[in-house]
Amino acid sequence: MASKATAPNAAPPNAAPPRQGTRKAMTGKAVTRGPRDVAHEGFLTHRRARWAKIAATVSLVALGAYLLADPIPRHNGGTWLGYLLGTIGAGMIVWLSLLGVRKRVIGSKPFSLKGWTSAHVYLGLSLIVIGTLHTGFQLGLNVHTLAWVLMMIVILSGLWGISLYATLPEKLSANRGEFTQLQMLEAIRTLDRQLDTAAQPLGPDDAALVRLSLEQCRIAGSLSQRLFGSYARDGNARALAAISERVTADRRAGRADEAVQQIQFLLERKEAALSQARRHIRLKARLEFWLYIHVPVTLALLAALLAHILSVFLYW
Amino acid sequence: MHGGPIMSCIIRQVAKRADGGDIIRTRTLSATEISVGRGTDCDIQLADLAVMLRHARLAEIAPGRVSVETTGGVPVAVAGKFVTRADVAIADAPVIDIGPFRLSLSAGDGGAIAITAERVVPPIDTADAAQEVSIFSLQGAMPTRRRLAWLGALTVLAIMLVLPLVHFLREGPTTLPRDMLAEAAQPDRAAPAFGLQVAQPRATPAGGPAPDELWSTGSLSNAHASLANNCGACHNKAFVSVTDSSCQACHTPAALPGHASAARLADSQMPEGGILGIAHKAFNLPQGRCTSCHKEHEGEATVMTVATSFCTDCHDGMKTRLGDTQVADVQDWPKHPDFRATLVSAPAPGTPQFTRTALNGAREQSGLLYPHDLHQSTRNAVANMAQKQGLPTSADGALPCNYCHKPDTDQLRFKPIEMEANCGECHDLAFARDGDTLRTLPHGKPAQVAGIIRDFYLSQAIAPRAGVQRIAFERRLPGRMAEVEATQLRLGGIGDARARAASAVEAVFNGAGTAGKGICTDCHVVSDTGATDITKRFAIAPVSINDHYLPKGQFPHSQHKSHDGKTGQAACIACHTGVLKSKASTDVLIPGVANCRECHGAPPKSLLPAAAKAGASCDTCHGFHEGNTGATPLPAGHGGAAARVAALRSPRARSW
Repeated sequence: MASKATAPNAAPPNAAPPRQGTRKAMTGKAVTRGPRDVAHEGFLTHRRARWAKIAATVSLVALGAYLLADPIPRHNGGTWLGYLLGTIGAGMIVWLSLLGVRKRVIGSKPFSLKGWTSAHVYLGLSLIVIGTLHTGFQLGLNVHTLAWVLMMIVILSGLWGISLYATLPEKLSANRGEFTQLQMLEAIRTLDRQLDTAAQPLGPDDAALVRLSLEQCRIAGSLSQRLFGSYARDGNARALAAISERVTADRRAGRADEAVQQIQFLLERKEAALSQARRHIRLKARLEFWLYIHVPVTLALLAALLAHILSVFLYW
Repeated sequence: MHGGPIMSCIIRQVAKRADGGDIIRTRTLSATEISVGRGTDCDIQLADLAVMLRHARLAEIAPGRVSVETTGGVPVAVAGKFVTRADVAIADAPVIDIGPFRLSLSAGDGGAIAITAERVVPPIDTADAAQEVSIFSLQGAMPTRRRLAWLGALTVLAIMLVLPLVHFLREGPTTLPRDMLAEAAQPDRAAPAFGLQVAQPRATPAGGPAPDELWSTGSLSNAHASLANNCGACHNKAFVSVTDSSCQACHTPAALPGHASAARLADSQMPEGGILGIAHKAFNLPQGRCTSCHKEHEGEATVMTVATSFCTDCHDGMKTRLGDTQVADVQDWPKHPDFRATLVSAPAPGTPQFTRTALNGAREQSGLLYPHDLHQSTRNAVANMAQKQGLPTSADGALPCNYCHKPDTDQLRFKPIEMEANCGECHDLAFARDGDTLRTLPHGKPAQVAGIIRDFYLSQAIAPRAGVQRIAFERRLPGRMAEVEATQLRLGGIGDARARAASAVEAVFNGAGTAGKGICTDCHVVSDTGATDITKRFAIAPVSINDHYLPKGQFPHSQHKSHDGKTGQAACIACHTGVLKSKASTDVLIPGVANCRECHGAPPKSLLPAAAKAGASCDTCHGFHEGNTGATPLPAGHGGAAARVAALRSPRARSW
């Protein structure tokens, strides 16, 4: 054909189409060849924030419908709009809680886990609008408001979790300094052993302090200790404080007990090792704790949702 | 760098096999110093992070003596003591601990120094691995998520579902509170305050909260507040929407009649279409139920807030569905047709005839002659008479509206006009002075009037009394002293008395031939039948004065005492604009619907519905539960019981 033969600068007819903007059909293969940004797209900006846009659109449409409708006597969950928003919201809640199932299915499927997570986050946020509009802003001491409250707790804990995921891993890496968790533990164990050895020649009082560090030192501790990092009453800290006092007292008195100084040195090293481990524990605890709210409250929400729907139709 | 003697060493590095056996790697080395550390360039490499890269060096300072010096700043343990430098004698078989490793020095073959390096602190094993999880993960400090989830879900189900469900299943037939039953059974009077609105919530119910109150979707209205712990009073059957029979258990049909007969209602309804119609049909929610209009659990008074669309669902295009209806179609408030007033078309003493007529150009045949403009003038004889007589006048000196139009007891409309009370101060019916008594003619009884006048004259002829004066009936012009033309009544006999009586009667009734000069003809149409009996000779055309022009709606004058900032008389005139110019009583001075719209506006369609200045929904003026089951389209009574007072729309509510 004449058209193909012209324009010597035109691409040869059998060249692959330009990658910009084209997208191959979903072939279901594990490795798809789609155009991809070179920079990493996290789950929050997955596919150029597609799910953020979808969720924003849904929220705006719901809000528009709410403002334009004028039910008598006032907005409530039982108007046509209320039923619609409620059905959509309930469906969304059930789908959102299936993320845990999707997580455990290996394979790329039509929608990747990253895509699911992105959708989970943004559609969950849009539930704030949909769920609250469904209530018509009528809240009271009943099962219906309980479902709404539980939903808000789930969503807000999820928001909190995302903010943690965005900020804490960096701190984890910074704190680690190439140590694995096992290595952190091992360092502490080693120091324990060295302390044990070094404390052999000590008198009973000093030996008791070293035993304080060896026996009453809990690396991780209780939940509040892990979350807030309050280890001042821990064995090692107390032992170190007491030994340091002894050393300074000795120095002032002109005595120099090498053994005790060595103990102090070891205790300080142990405290440093413990601090690193505990910082790590604290960051990890904060990274995990929100999920202990998010998931159980989701299940409680599903139960409340069941009670809500059943009671609405029972006392129709 | 030491320049010490070269020492020959035999270095044995011991490693433990998984089965517990040892692997010993032996090599010999000759150097001035032996470096020990983690780094691969060290002579003795100790692979552990607790060991510095270059931790220490060993050098022979004298035959059989070795110095240990740390290079990494971290001490080593020699004979149990932490030192940075130590000199040891080979013969003592010294032991140097570096991190988890132990270096044992001994004398080797041929004067060499044997250094055995073995690990004494075992690396973390699998038991510790499990500890790792419990230390670093919250699993060690909290119950598992699964357990928490079960706990939460079961708690919620137990309290929120099982508890109320058990209560629902176990409670027997519901009991309705007796006081509420009694109050609901009373038929509603036309109360001035649109009395179906209950301002204060009823008393909290006895018996404390019930478990199924957890299922309530909102507070009850004021009127039903006593039922808060008695869900079964309305929610009789599970999964069945509240039925009319539940409502009518208290609101009996006798106390709260329907709007029209059930058959007419069914015929006139617009069939419900669309998805909503399908849904309603599928779930057995027909139109026209009580709960179609009255939604409970929306707080305070909102059960009485009714959507306009419920009215227009029938009344829009009703003519197409009910061909014989007398009610005009109404699409919505902005298109409400102009009023058709109920006017007297044929006055009669007992049962006058009424006709419903459009206001525009309407004429009412009350049978009375009454010009409003004359009586409302500020400058004429009426005004002067009012001042002279000491009647209450309005600010501009004219007779005020409320001199004749006195509000009735309910303050809805006005008491019927009574001649003696409202007209008698000026239109006096006195006819003679008899000593101290002012003889007066009764109003409304023409036969009596004729007879009284005749008997007066005859009695004076037969048994004359002193001090009897006849009063002339001609009205005096204002400004002159109200002279009583006192003429002693002297009669020349019975025949004279009869003749004088006859002429007096004529004068009273129709002015004795001079048109419009009689007393009665001031306001009435008098006809001369020509009968010989004087009491039957003159007939007054019957008069029926209307006092309820728009009986199909409720208009409480008490709530409209001011208009546009004007009060009192000015407010009356502001709506009844034609009064000051009305020359004939056939004028109908009732304002039309446009006048109402000034305040009860029809707001323009806007994106966000805006409130009118005053209520602008159907039930602002019309009722529903009125019991118009009769066939006639005209009001049941006139001047009697008003139409039923209907629900008051909450002033906060809005409508399209």
